[in-house]
Order: sequence, then structure tokens, then C-alpha cells
Amino acid sequence: MSSSQAVRDSAKKLVNLLEKYPKDRIPHLVTFKEVQVSRFRRVAGLPSVDDKGKSVKDKKPSLDEIKSIINRTSGPLGLNKETLAKIQNSVSNEKFTEESINQQIHALSTIMGNKFRNYYDVGDKLYKPAGNPRYYQRLIDEIEGKKNENIFTAMRTVLFGK
Amino acid sequence: MSINRLASSRLPVLLTKATFSYPRAYLHETKVFLQNKGATQDSPELLAKSSHLNSNPLDGSNKAPVKSTQTKIPLAHSKYESSRYELPRWKEALGELVIRTFRLDMDRVRAGPVAGSYYYTLCKNQGLQYEDEPLSETAKYFYEDLKLPRTFSQWFQITALHEWMLFVRMRAMPFKYGRNYQQKLVDRTFSDIELRLFEEMKVNSGRIADQYLKDFNSQLRGAVFAYDEGFVTDDPTLATAVWRNLFGGRKDIDMLHLESVVGYIHSQLYVLSRLSDREFATGKFKFVPPGVKVEKLTPQQEEELKAKTIAKYEAQDKDPNTLPSERSKLSYTN
Repeated sequence: MSSSQAVRDSAKKLVNLLEKYPKDRIPHLVTFKEVQVSRFRRVAGLPSVDDKGKSVKDKKPSLDEIKSIINRTSGPLGLNKETLAKIQNSVSNEKFTEESINQQIHALSTIMGNKFRNYYDVGDKLYKPAGNPRYYQRLIDEIEGKKNENIFTAMRTVLFGK
Repeated sequence: MSINRLASSRLPVLLTKATFSYPRAYLHETKVFLQNKGATQDSPELLAKSSHLNSNPLDGSNKAPVKSTQTKIPLAHSKYESSRYELPRWKEALGELVIRTFRLDMDRVRAGPVAGSYYYTLCKNQGLQYEDEPLSETAKYFYEDLKLPRTFSQWFQITALHEWMLFVRMRAMPFKYGRNYQQKLVDRTFSDIELRLFEEMKVNSGRIADQYLKDFNSQLRGAVFAYDEGFVTDDPTLATAVWRNLFGGRKDIDMLHLESVVGYIHSQLYVLSRLSDREFATGKFKFVPPGVKVEKLTPQQEEELKAKTIAKYEAQDKDPNTLPSERSKLSYTN
């Protein structure tokens, strides 16, 4: 009893830490934060929540949803039934101990604290590369949706590459 | 210019084998003893191994293992890329004569053998695996320690990660040359994948191979974009990029594995950032094995390293006996 309670408590800590994880700048099919929050909320015994913070009950996918998933993944890289079953099997039987969850917390806080980025500082040589000093700035501006690109600068990039 | 000559240099950065207790340093083949012993974290491999969470590979019994072909050809069907090949003396002399007469830009010519052949081989070998052959040391890190599935597309993701790290360094070269190096690396990647799809994956249809190639192309673009974003912003973003691409977005990810890969990436980029353009462009770089921890250079060691590089290349440039094919205009001071 006490050990399972300890696992739940540390899982709660991990969920709290994951809640502070920065959001993706651009939407992706899956977000790390949401997937991991829902994974560890279950371990912590907390009700699962949707993206607005309201609790939802786990519901099974409807027949239409399953059909649409199967139709969307045609072709050589699509998942077949067997593979889906394998993924389901490997996910469901996760065994956590207090120690392993604390390890996860430690690893996650290392990532969130930018430990490696600060330790192995590469400096402006790579952040403002000599061959293309505005490369990363343009990338970030594009992600943040800043409109500082007009037709001429765009054509310049197309023609000369920078 | 043979490729062997390029590949036989050592990394000018302090490396410590994490499993041994004594510190070792390669500083242009002179030994310098470590001063910053206080660094705490272990090598990426040990970090990944220390996890208490026994996660399994996503798909242990995959149906598409990479088959080894009857005759192993390391890169292509070209004898010039074999490690044993030596150019006949008269061909070498003729080549040097052509370079001297037409004043060929060797920095441009060198992009093919260095980026297209040598650097591509480095990236390719990191995660290379065959169905019934033992894994190499680096491949063990990816498939056994990080529990990645042993498939062809996983191999591609590992290769793409390493290529991206080289792209980051290539952008810091003069634009004209850096762009050329990137182009050669990408060209080679896809021609090699095409070859391997037919020979090893036994894809018989050109149409299906084309589909795969298109898919790999968009994967590479997406991965490079995501890693770039993570590199320039912060570690959490880099970790999510690694999670989406290298780990295929699996739900039961071990955070220690993520941490280990993020550390691995940053340590490689650190080594790349300490190399001058001349060293990098002539193929003086190797990826640090995951079992080895990269120690940071102290400012004093960095000075020493710079001075040594400058002395080496100054002597080479002044030497009248240096062959035209070995000359370069790229900077060795940065």
C-alpha cells in the first residue's frame, strides 16, 4: 500500500513538472507534453483531462473513427492491425517504481533546465553561422509568424539561397 | 586524393572513456591532462543504461529487418571508394597537373569526396545494422540502450540526426562552400538509400522505391527543421524534436533516453564548433562514440589548440612541396 502510494505521489510530482513544460510553437500531430501528461496522470491516479483542463472519461473510439484511421494509413508505411496490437501491448504493461519515476523527474528537469545547452556552449560561431548569419533568425521569425518577409526578400532567398 | 588520407586524423577535443577512470586527451596527438575533473554527468551511453525503467523496443519482432547482401560493398559499386584502393602514381601526377594548370578550386572539388563520401559514411555507419550480424558499438547504443526498433526507417532517422549535426557546422563555412557540402551530403544519402532499397530491402518496383524516397525526403526536411528549431531555442524543444523524429513519438518514452540523446547532440555540436573551417572541410572530424564523454576545453587548452592548428596549416601553406590538391583557401583561424 505504502509503496503504491509513494509511486502515485512521485507521479503527481512528475505531472506537475510536465505541466510546466513549454508548449510547442507550431502545432504537430502529437504533442510531447499532452501525451506524457495523460500517461502519468493515469499512474498518479488523477482523472484524465482534455486540453482545456476539464476532466473527461476515457471513451473507446467509435467505429467511424477506427475506419477513418485505417483509411488514412494506406500505403507501405501504414500500420496494419497486427502492428497496432503490438503497440497497444507494449504500452499497457508499464511498471513503475518510486525510484524509476524519480529518475524520470530528474531527467526531465535536466532537459527543462537547459543543462546540456549551457554546458556545451557552442557560441555565436554556430548560432550565427558565417555563411548564413540570419538563418536561425529567419526560422524563428517564420515560426512566430512575424511578417518581415516581402516578395523581394523571398525571391532573393529563392535565387541566392540566403 | 584518396579517402584514407582524410580519415586518419584524431579529434582535437578532450575525450574520456567513461568506463575507465583515467582521463585521456587528444590534442592534435599530444597528451594534455585534464584539469576540469569536476564535470559530473556521465557519457550518453551510461546515462541511458542507468535507467530503472525497463522499456521494450516498440516492435520487437519487426517484419522488415535489413538483409545483408551477398557481397558487401561499403558505399557504392565504385572501386575508388574502397578503403584499399590506391590511385596509380601516374594518375595522381596527372591530376595534380590538371589542378595546377587550370587552377581548380580544390575547396569546391573536395566537397564530393569529403561530404559526399567520407561524411556520409560516418553518418551511415552510426546506426547501420543487418538482420544476422552483430551490432557495432554505436549501433548498440541506439538499438539496445535506447531500445529503438531495428528497422530501415529507424536507421534513416539516426542517419538524418547525424547529418543535421554536420549541416549545422556546414552553415558556418563560407556560404558558397558550405552549401555545396550540404548538397553533396544530401545527394549521396538519397542515391545510397535508393541502392539499399533495391539490394537490401529487396524492393522490386521502382514506383514503390520512389514512394519511399519521397517519404524519406519529407522526413529529412521535417527533422532538419525541428532540430534547427530546438537547437536555436532551448533543450525542451530539442527534446520534443528528438521524441517526434528519432523515437517516432512513442508514448512510453523513457526520459533518461531523451536526456541522453540531448546530451549526445550537444556534445557533438560542441566538438564541431571547436574545429576550424579548414579542418572540418578536409574531413578531420569524427563523431564521438556514445560511450565516451566529451570534456569541455579550458580557455588555456583552447588557446593551445588554436595555436597548434594555425602553426600546422601555416607551415603547410608555406611549404612549396604541398601538392596542389592539398591546398585550400579556407580559414584555419576560426
